[in-house]
Amino acid sequence: MKLQQEHSLTQAQKTMVFILAMTLFGLSKMITEILPQNEIGPIEFSVSYFAFIPLILVSLFHPLYVAVGASVGKIIFAGLLMGDFGGIGEIEGFIELTLAMYIAGLLVRNPLSKWQLAIASLVGVGIDQLLSSIVDIFKVVIGVDGFDAVPGLPESIVVLEAVSFLNEMVITGVLFGLIPTLLLTPRLYGKIEPLLGMKPRERRVNASLGAFITPGLIVAAIFLSFVAMISEFMAEMEVNLAFWSPDFLAQFDGGYEWIAYSAFGVALILLGYVATRLKKRSQPTTTSGNDRAA
Amino acid sequence: MSSLQQLFSKLSVETIKIELMRTAYGNERTLLSRLDPRMLMIWVLVFSVLPWLTHNLTILVGLTLMMAILTYTTKVSPLLIVLFFFGVISQFTYIVFAALFLGNSFMAAVAIIPLTLKVSIVSLCSMAVFTSMDPEKFSDGLVSLGVPGRFSFGVSYGYRMLPMLIEEFQNIIHSFRLRGKQPEKPGVLYTRYILYYAKMCVMAFYPMMLNMAKRTRTTVEALEIRGFSYTQESKEAKKLKLAYMKITRLDIQFLCMTILITGGVYAVGVWFPYYL
Repeated sequence: MKLQQEHSLTQAQKTMVFILAMTLFGLSKMITEILPQNEIGPIEFSVSYFAFIPLILVSLFHPLYVAVGASVGKIIFAGLLMGDFGGIGEIEGFIELTLAMYIAGLLVRNPLSKWQLAIASLVGVGIDQLLSSIVDIFKVVIGVDGFDAVPGLPESIVVLEAVSFLNEMVITGVLFGLIPTLLLTPRLYGKIEPLLGMKPRERRVNASLGAFITPGLIVAAIFLSFVAMISEFMAEMEVNLAFWSPDFLAQFDGGYEWIAYSAFGVALILLGYVATRLKKRSQPTTTSGNDRAA
Repeated sequence: MSSLQQLFSKLSVETIKIELMRTAYGNERTLLSRLDPRMLMIWVLVFSVLPWLTHNLTILVGLTLMMAILTYTTKVSPLLIVLFFFGVISQFTYIVFAALFLGNSFMAAVAIIPLTLKVSIVSLCSMAVFTSMDPEKFSDGLVSLGVPGRFSFGVSYGYRMLPMLIEEFQNIIHSFRLRGKQPEKPGVLYTRYILYYAKMCVMAFYPMMLNMAKRTRTTVEALEIRGFSYTQESKEAKKLKLAYMKITRLDIQFLCMTILITGGVYAVGVWFPYYL
């Protein structure tokens, strides 16, 4: 449990890590928004984000606060300030990025090990891109009327998404993720932590990966990706969100009722969660509020 | 072509910075800036859900027009408008191109018009509201709606710090360019230039990260001196802080007007429905 101790931060330090990740990633996201994009047909050759910033911070500081901070920064700087706010669809990006960066951070036990950094960078960007590719494919599957009836469409969409996934992995994952992370992390290690008034993470932390990836985390990961998918489908399908209307289920074509049932399920779970939170809040005990994002 | 070149010559870092500063600090007295932030946020939420509930093109066009007029009255910066149009057009062409590429007919282009309109309504209304809202009021509104204090602080901090951050980034880039050497030949398809600038962008984040860390610590310590963590937990402090917000007559007038106009749009849509 030494590791747990190492991660315990004061309230102020949590805020510091959060703000640092938020501003840096937000700024970088804004720069990539302004950068010109080269499109050859439907395939974009552009940086979607500077993946190295959250990756470096996640391996140097507490992964959770960095991951949440980076996602918040993305929404505030690139979403609200640039007038590019996606509404309900923004939830999908938030959950995907937070989850991906959190897992990447958990994979790094020693910030000076090149192997761990490399694996974490690729896995982090990979999770994010894979989740969004899957959601994109399902968007078309559900969005197009009679998806299988259109000859060649299913294969083409999968090929298109696969190409864009590879392209993202090469540009965002390797050029702007892996290489800068490997270069900058050892340089920043031990320099940036004292500026925040913290001790650097210890080089050798004796803990196996099993200590991190608990069943709780896996369940939370699966649930959150599920919520991301469902919320994106709901946004994309133009479904009448009035849950109480009798024809809510009828809006789904045959075979896709599970989306409606899942939406009900997600709504129920969220309702239960909010109810328990409110109950807890009415009691005088105060707990730190930001631990819930995982 | 010349007008396009003119447009691009205007699109320098300096202009972007000034425009963003205007967005963040622009406290011009527009209609939306005088309204209650909580009301506005709920208003945006309603209008970001509303377009998804209908396929009626008449209603969608009406709502888009309404949002466009509202956005015009809030004096949104031209940069945001340009970026918005660029985003909408590129997304539209992307889907059309994909559909053509996949061997479908050109009908796909027509079929996604409603989708494009829906996306535009949502982004226009959020653009109008969030650019005309004072960051202070915005974060206070978030707190009063029960959002964790750290998040709402992040919002106002982001708004306030942004121009400074961009300026600092620009300075670092300038110093890199002063000390470095641009490649002599552009290379195939300007690859050398692109690599040079990409490397510079990445390297500039090294000093940026250290500077930001220092600045963050100063900020948080200053916050703690003024009891930031305490005010997050104390109900009395919150009450005191949020006491100035109240729903005025203007808010009610605004609400009535939007309900009337939206109702009108829907009525026209029901009488003259147009589906694709």
